[in-house]
Amino acid sequence: MSTLVAQAIVSGLLIGGVFALIALGLTLIFGVMKIINFAHGDFLMLGMYFAFFLSVMAGVNPYISALLSLPLFFALGWVIQARLIRPVLDAPENIQILVTVGISLVLQNAALFLFSPDFQSLRLSYGAQTFSVAGVAVSYVRLIACVVSLSTSVGVFLFLSRTDTGKALRACAEQQTGAMVVGIDVGRMYKIAFGLGTACVALAGVLMTPFFYIAPQVGLPFTLIAFVTVVLGGLGSVPGALVGGLIIGVVESLGEILLPSPSMKQMATFSVFLLILLVRPQGLLGGRMT
Amino acid sequence: MLLEAKNLTRRFGGLVAVNDVSLNVDKGEIVGLIGPNGAGKTTLFNLLSGFLKPDLGDVLLDGVSIVGLKPHQICHMGMSRTFQIVRPFPEMTVLDNVMMGAFSVHAKAAEARKQALSVLERVGFRDMADRRAGDLPVGGRKRLEIAKVLATQPRLILLDEVMAGLTPSEHNQMIETVRRIRSGGVTIVIIEHVMPVIMNLSDRIYVLHHGQMIAQGVPEDIVRDPAVVEAYLGEDMAL
Amino acid sequence: MRLAIFLIVGLAVLLTLPLYAESDLIVAIMPEGLTGSALLNVFLLIFLFGYWGQCWNILGGYAGQLSLGHAAYVGVGAYTSSLLYVNFGLSPWIGMLAGMGLSGLFGFFVGFLSFHYRLTGPFFALATIAFAELLRLTILHVEFTGGSLGILIPLTGDNFWDFQFTNKAPYYYIALAMMVAVTAVVYWISRSRLGYYMHAVRQDEQAAAAIGIDTIRTKLIATTLSAALTGAGGTFYAQYSQYIVPDDIITVALSIEIILRTIFGGSATVFGPILGSFMLTPVAEATRVLFPGGGSGTAVVQMFASDAPVAEKFDAYLNFLSTGGGGGGALFLYGVVLILVCINMPRGVLPWLQSRFGRPR
Repeated sequence: MSTLVAQAIVSGLLIGGVFALIALGLTLIFGVMKIINFAHGDFLMLGMYFAFFLSVMAGVNPYISALLSLPLFFALGWVIQARLIRPVLDAPENIQILVTVGISLVLQNAALFLFSPDFQSLRLSYGAQTFSVAGVAVSYVRLIACVVSLSTSVGVFLFLSRTDTGKALRACAEQQTGAMVVGIDVGRMYKIAFGLGTACVALAGVLMTPFFYIAPQVGLPFTLIAFVTVVLGGLGSVPGALVGGLIIGVVESLGEILLPSPSMKQMATFSVFLLILLVRPQGLLGGRMT
Repeated sequence: MLLEAKNLTRRFGGLVAVNDVSLNVDKGEIVGLIGPNGAGKTTLFNLLSGFLKPDLGDVLLDGVSIVGLKPHQICHMGMSRTFQIVRPFPEMTVLDNVMMGAFSVHAKAAEARKQALSVLERVGFRDMADRRAGDLPVGGRKRLEIAKVLATQPRLILLDEVMAGLTPSEHNQMIETVRRIRSGGVTIVIIEHVMPVIMNLSDRIYVLHHGQMIAQGVPEDIVRDPAVVEAYLGEDMAL
Repeated sequence: MRLAIFLIVGLAVLLTLPLYAESDLIVAIMPEGLTGSALLNVFLLIFLFGYWGQCWNILGGYAGQLSLGHAAYVGVGAYTSSLLYVNFGLSPWIGMLAGMGLSGLFGFFVGFLSFHYRLTGPFFALATIAFAELLRLTILHVEFTGGSLGILIPLTGDNFWDFQFTNKAPYYYIALAMMVAVTAVVYWISRSRLGYYMHAVRQDEQAAAAIGIDTIRTKLIATTLSAALTGAGGTFYAQYSQYIVPDDIITVALSIEIILRTIFGGSATVFGPILGSFMLTPVAEATRVLFPGGGSGTAVVQMFASDAPVAEKFDAYLNFLSTGGGGGGALFLYGVVLILVCINMPRGVLPWLQSRFGRPR
């Protein structure tokens, strides 16, 4: 039994690394623009299909697709922010939420239309291979996903703290008017933030293709996991996203072995989510959200 | 004593915004509250009106402690306030805005409307009744704010910087309005920066500095109080 | 005045439609297949979604709280009346009242927790989604509700007390009556103190509190009322389709369908949801008919991976798409409409029309 638990914890940490990257994307967008992106998980789904079709049609290895996905999805995020989000930044909050809901609908159903609801999967020759560490089986592809995710997260963190653009982003996040006053092109920062956030979550999707099923509806559960993680770790907090991702990964993984059925696991996730939303300490969410 | 604040203290993290402040207001008075920027005046108002809870101390309205009550409950008990940055409901008409206040007294729309109209009459704003509140200039918004609050038929009003943004001629109008409100039987506590106005209006004045009460008394004494003068030294004040 | 005439004429047309739905005139002007019963079905859906949109309007429009989990109340209403009928033979009309009570209670519960913990905006929206999903998952798991198989309403033919009719016309009239009734309710509310208070809460909650408005109470009333009324629609739906299953009715997709007409037509207006439903529902239904989807993705993928020439692959794919690909055409349209409305006319079509053509109110 305890090896089962240990296994679950290890798997949980591995997937948690990916959750961290997903949450990082969301918290970046929220931190800088104060927008809650309901379509976040759907970009993950797009990343998955991107890798899938490159593999099926041109035999491209998903890890190469991962590299290709970064500039592509950064650009996609940039354009979406410029064309669809910017026009509603001054509108009432509900309208902003509804725009992202609309984007989610469009993405999900475009995928449904183009690719059908059938589950797809990418079968790599080494996809199921594992190696053993102290009696626990570690899957290669999950390990790679975790390592790349965490490295990317650290990379983003360094970008935010060391580079000029990164610091400008953080300035926007903290004090928008102040940022404008010192000459930061806030509009451009928003596009960068959205592009970066989108690239992160799409990358996570690509990394997951070797071991996760691909379907148009796969986005919603991940959007919710991203929210749970981000709320847990603190909206706008990069370290929070990392820590939260790992915690949620382990919780999910343990839930899978301890609870009798998959939908019970979903119930547990939603319950945890509600609990966090309701019970969170008042100060954890600053700005508009309180 | 209609309103009594006893030893109110409120901290924000390491900063003590209001430090052991006590004051009292008698029925029918106009009491002024002054102090340099950042002295804690609006925080004090927030504590009195239920928007903030004090860390220490008590607030008594007509002898009844109101600490812990929600703003709308305090409003029903007879104390209302205006905001420094006026907050009308921009999409509604002036009349609808005032009706919001009237609704706390009358449950039926028709009666609320009647009362709102009569309040608008009293503050000289009747002709603006159908204007969209968001379209009003600053002076109009201030007057609307007062009308809204009056419609709740309060016993005591907390006026937070009603003069800010008004032209000098509008000042005189506002002074008249405030005096008329008092003669209508409403007690008033007023925060103000424009010295001539508050010296003119107030029966008594309290002076706040760095969260502490440094002086209180009639206007003539306050002006000569050395502590008050020192507090304002270096400040850009219209004296 | 012109509005009143328009409404009366419109109502007269709608009231008499079932009488001539099969007539030569209709057959002549309507597209193939969209006559008689099928035509009544489309109008019925217009009425039902107009009804639901109006219910949501109370909470999401007037009170400004974005609920994305309204399908839950549909579910509670539908399941309550259906279970009472199937297990105890209780007339679904009475079941509808019971359903309204329970869905109102559930709405109160959701609202109470959310508002007490000060959830607003996106956090309230997320909470409503979570509550709805929890409800769906619970129903899936509980034996007593039929789990994933749902509940099949046994046919008893034409029977008023069993709320069953073999013809579409009675359902049509009931749906129309419900839509008109709830619109009257919304009209009445909008002119009452509650309506003013909801408006104030929507615009500026803090200022509303300062002026003596109990904002939590106002929001709770809105939530409970909205939920209860939505539940009644759930009972209607159950009786009309005679089969309910959680993955059909307690979905985020249905929640979005419910709010879409209102957002499009004009939230916080009396006729917005109705206008929205009349404009959007036919389009959605048309999309469902023209692009039914259901094509096989696996076949497509296999074909892509094969060695067939590119032209052939392209051709086959176009074929797949022309019948609606994998489905989702209607929802895709919804997404596009939602985005366009939010960016270009955030207050909806009705207020936009009013500002263009100068009608006050």
